[in-house]
Amino acid sequence: MLEIAQGLLGGLAIALKPIYLYYSLLGAILGTITGVLPGLGPLGAMSILLSFTLSMDATGAMILFAGIYYGAMYGGSTTSILLNIPGEAASVVTCIDGYKMAQRGRAGAALTVSAVGSFIAGTISILGLMVAALFLSDIALRFGPAEFFAIGVCGLILLVRLSGGSILQSFIMILVGMALGTVGVDFLTGTERFTFGSVELGQGVDFLPVAMGIFGIAEVLTTVEEKEFKPSIQKVKLRELFPTSQEWRRSIPAMFRGSFLGFLIGLVPGPSPVIATFVSYISEKRISKNPEEFGKGAIEAVAGPEAANNAAVGGAYVPLFALGIPFTPAMAMVLGTLMLHGLTPGPNLMKEKSDLFWAVIASMYIGNFMLIVLNLPLVNLFVSILRVPKNILMPVIVIVCMIGVYSVNSSRLDLLMLAIFGFIGYILRAIGFQVAPLILAMVIGPMIETSLRQSLNITGGSLGGFIFRPICLSLYLLASLTFVIPFIMRQIKKAPG
Amino acid sequence: MNGKNQDIRKIASLALLVFSLLYGLSSFRLKMGTLRSPGPGLIPGVIGVLLVVCTGIYLFRVFGKGSERLAEEEKPAREGKNYRAIIGILACTALFPFILEPLKFIVSTMAASLVMLLLLKPTRWIFSFLLSLGMAVGAFLIFSRFFGVGLPSGFLENFLFRFGG
Repeated sequence: MLEIAQGLLGGLAIALKPIYLYYSLLGAILGTITGVLPGLGPLGAMSILLSFTLSMDATGAMILFAGIYYGAMYGGSTTSILLNIPGEAASVVTCIDGYKMAQRGRAGAALTVSAVGSFIAGTISILGLMVAALFLSDIALRFGPAEFFAIGVCGLILLVRLSGGSILQSFIMILVGMALGTVGVDFLTGTERFTFGSVELGQGVDFLPVAMGIFGIAEVLTTVEEKEFKPSIQKVKLRELFPTSQEWRRSIPAMFRGSFLGFLIGLVPGPSPVIATFVSYISEKRISKNPEEFGKGAIEAVAGPEAANNAAVGGAYVPLFALGIPFTPAMAMVLGTLMLHGLTPGPNLMKEKSDLFWAVIASMYIGNFMLIVLNLPLVNLFVSILRVPKNILMPVIVIVCMIGVYSVNSSRLDLLMLAIFGFIGYILRAIGFQVAPLILAMVIGPMIETSLRQSLNITGGSLGGFIFRPICLSLYLLASLTFVIPFIMRQIKKAPG
Repeated sequence: MNGKNQDIRKIASLALLVFSLLYGLSSFRLKMGTLRSPGPGLIPGVIGVLLVVCTGIYLFRVFGKGSERLAEEEKPAREGKNYRAIIGILACTALFPFILEPLKFIVSTMAASLVMLLLLKPTRWIFSFLLSLGMAVGAFLIFSRFFGVGLPSGFLENFLFRFGG
């Protein structure tokens, strides 16, 4: 406990420096804006800004991204409640009852409950992150390549199961991502792989143009398909923001339940904030004394899922900080940023760069506080961003993506990669592929390969030597269960009687 | 079922299989090594084989009876897609790398944004021209001065950089 308190105080001392406060504020504002704009979620914002973090130090970049991630969660719920438009996928559930509340004239109460719920969840998940990451990183220091291989493989398997859509398509995306990860000079033997004699490809396929293409450019192409949407924006008065005492009584327990649930779901690979909101909504409905109100404007149905999606953000940071493995695409962006700054996340980073870890944790508190102070009074301003016509916004995003990619290596190849992966991302989305597994596999793939080859070297080629280790075996069993249980359930349902 | 999307899916499935085959075949040219001492081609080889198998099954589904089920799984296609804008934006993104160095940042960015603006919503060209000029100059000042990004500069950029303070 003393270690946590000392670390947090040290982190606060860093995060309260004016420059980091500025990054935190900038992240919160940018995150809210991207959360408000449909389509352009935290992933899009992170991928667009990834290269610009090079002008900051690693701590500043991490603080900016944490602000964007939390801000997007806040912003997404604002448009869900006021306009029935989910700014990002994790806010879809909030539309159901949040918008119904707005139609009944309780938009202000829904917004406040959503903001307070997000704040409470943010705080709880940060506490969870501190304890879990420290605990896990201590254990992870004893992990060998076999354990890291098992974590990587099981993470990808769970991702396939949980990210929705076709298993075959997700698996193909994972394999394509891993194939991209093998391009470049082999780290053990120095052999060039799939470089076609290109010096630039010798360093591997850069993560940045792929991520920006698949999430940024493809998003723009998907957005321009749609007809121009002009929302009728309703104003929320400050005095309408206060919920009644009955509304508080109903929503506070839901906020705490959503927070714990969201944090736990955040630890699991996949689109955890989205899953967390659905699970929270269903569980709130199950335990509610008034389940018939769900879908008609129940305040618990706003408080629980909103808390859950924010708590999942904190949970998602745990495997990244403790193990160095990103389980969500957004965390892959964070990992990419750390690597751009020459840092490799994992248990060693938490020990060696503890100031960075604690500064990020502290900035999350500060960012959450900023968001609640900023977002409620400025809700009308943020919503009015939707008035910016997309025929102006989309070219701006494309230009920013191109400058962003160029700024890192001043490379024409990177710019071409951006265009190619923008096209590929657009086509893949159009035919129903999930692109997130591709990005995650591209990041985790090289780690899996390294761990496997090291393990085989250590065990003298014995596969059993690294499969039948306690942690590895448990992880493989857990991953197998995600396939076996649904199969058994299907057989039980099919069985006559 | 949306015919256009089905066609795209068929082309994409073929492209995926071709990619898998090329990747698989190239990986077998690398040294595989042994289990005791795995070579640089071992993992790519495994990935290549799995890719060929999976994309083969996917191709079979797309061209076979599974195609209708696949079409049901996807999002419903939107009516009246703005293909002109989609192709135009892609073309701008693909051509930008080739015009950036010779034309320098402001002219190339202005050209790309002007084309995109005109394609997305043709208004009076003078409005689009002024807007794209503003975007190019604004982007140069923000990114080169604020973020310190090194952008290709010529006379215009050097003049603006001095002018910008």
